[in-house]
Amino acid sequence: MIRMQISLGEEEYDAAKKEAQRLGISLAELVRCSIRTMLAVDEKKPWMRYAGMVESGDSQSSQHIDDIVYGQKD
Amino acid sequence: MAKKIETYVDTSALIAFLDRSDTYHPLFFRLFADPPLLVTSPLVVAEGHGWFLRRYDRTRALQFIVMVESMRPLKVCSIGTKEQHSSYELLRKFADQNLTLTDAVGLYVMNDLGMKSCWSSGFHLGLTGVALVINAY
Repeated sequence: MIRMQISLGEEEYDAAKKEAQRLGISLAELVRCSIRTMLAVDEKKPWMRYAGMVESGDSQSSQHIDDIVYGQKD
Repeated sequence: MAKKIETYVDTSALIAFLDRSDTYHPLFFRLFADPPLLVTSPLVVAEGHGWFLRRYDRTRALQFIVMVESMRPLKVCSIGTKEQHSSYELLRKFADQNLTLTDAVGLYVMNDLGMKSCWSSGFHLGLTGVALVINAY
């Protein structure tokens, strides 16, 4: 990771903060997501744009799909 | 001659690729960055879409669909009556496992196409002896 400072207008900052809260992610993560969306990935591999598009916080999320989709047993 | 599709993609591989919190994210990031010809089923697409719908929202769920559409090396095979009934048989055969119909269809497709490897982070898709990519790394 490279640390950097950016300047935002007050309205942009407020809107970004609200959107980050709505999505349940940090402001830094929202900025990273936005940059990934804006930047063209290799045009031959457009699906790579979506790599890591979410950060669930669950290190085993791919092994808990059935619990989410079909629900857990009581 | 058309290139043979050798790898089946399970829902878990797609979720690990898209969720950067997942332990297997780095592996599937590397694999999807340079994929061979891949095949999956409409049930896998439905599960992935459902996962995003339940865990996040409609926007993310639709992004998942757009991602699948954009992944040109990935073919979504058709599932008809024959495939359904063969998959039901697999559910009966592995009745001692918590197999979903999506898993069973995956097992059927891999067997039908003579596939040798599967991208999945679970063990169910390895029940018929197909090599799971997570065991190779």
